[in-house]
Amino acid sequence: MRIQEVIRTINQMQSDGVIQRYAIGGAVGATFYLEPAATLDVDVFVAFKSDAGSPLISPKPIFDYLKERGCNMEGEYVMIAGWPVQFLPPTSPLVEEALEQAVERDVGGSIARVFTPEHLAAIALQTGRGKDMARLMDFMEFDEMNADRFEEIVKHHGLESALDRFHQQFGRGNT
Amino acid sequence: MSFDLERIWESKREYRRRLAMLPLADKLQMLDELRERALTLRPRATGIPPPPREVISEQPPDYRANQG
Repeated sequence: MRIQEVIRTINQMQSDGVIQRYAIGGAVGATFYLEPAATLDVDVFVAFKSDAGSPLISPKPIFDYLKERGCNMEGEYVMIAGWPVQFLPPTSPLVEEALEQAVERDVGGSIARVFTPEHLAAIALQTGRGKDMARLMDFMEFDEMNADRFEEIVKHHGLESALDRFHQQFGRGNT
Repeated sequence: MSFDLERIWESKREYRRRLAMLPLADKLQMLDELRERALTLRPRATGIPPPPREVISEQPPDYRANQG
């Protein structure tokens, strides 16, 4: 079970032209900036290619590619190196922007694309579950993001009232 | 050993900060280990038969908004 192998496989998919652009989000993405937090899966956001002649985007080329390489499907997950990996399309303008502006990080010799801390925090704010709020607090507490940039993203995506609610509930942290 | 809560919180924060600053490869390896541990614990936790309903029961909350 090795997450670095997952990253290598995704990079290979990109080199082989199966996906155009990807970025790691969720708890694994947050681990690039924060302390590691237990998670059971890997969220990979990808710009899906549409099937030839079809206006619809499809994850089929990804599944076909990985099946050929011995990966199993489990529900909406693909098992890669023992990790359930979920390939997700950008479903909101915020996630689309996060995918576009993702940064590259060196992981023991291979490159991983990951959301910026400001985008991870804004997505956590938008998603709004308990664990997302905890992640947002960590980003603020550990001073791991550019507060001005974060607030810019919040404003741009109309999340000001969600941020106000967050501050009312949990205080202002370092922002 | 101290029961000074401020110092306890600060030492916890410091420990978490140190974890956050570990090399990325080490942090990812910790994710691997955390997941393996979770997978080991989960079947054991769920293998315990649930107590009879009447032992632990909770009234669902009354979700009424705008009651003034």
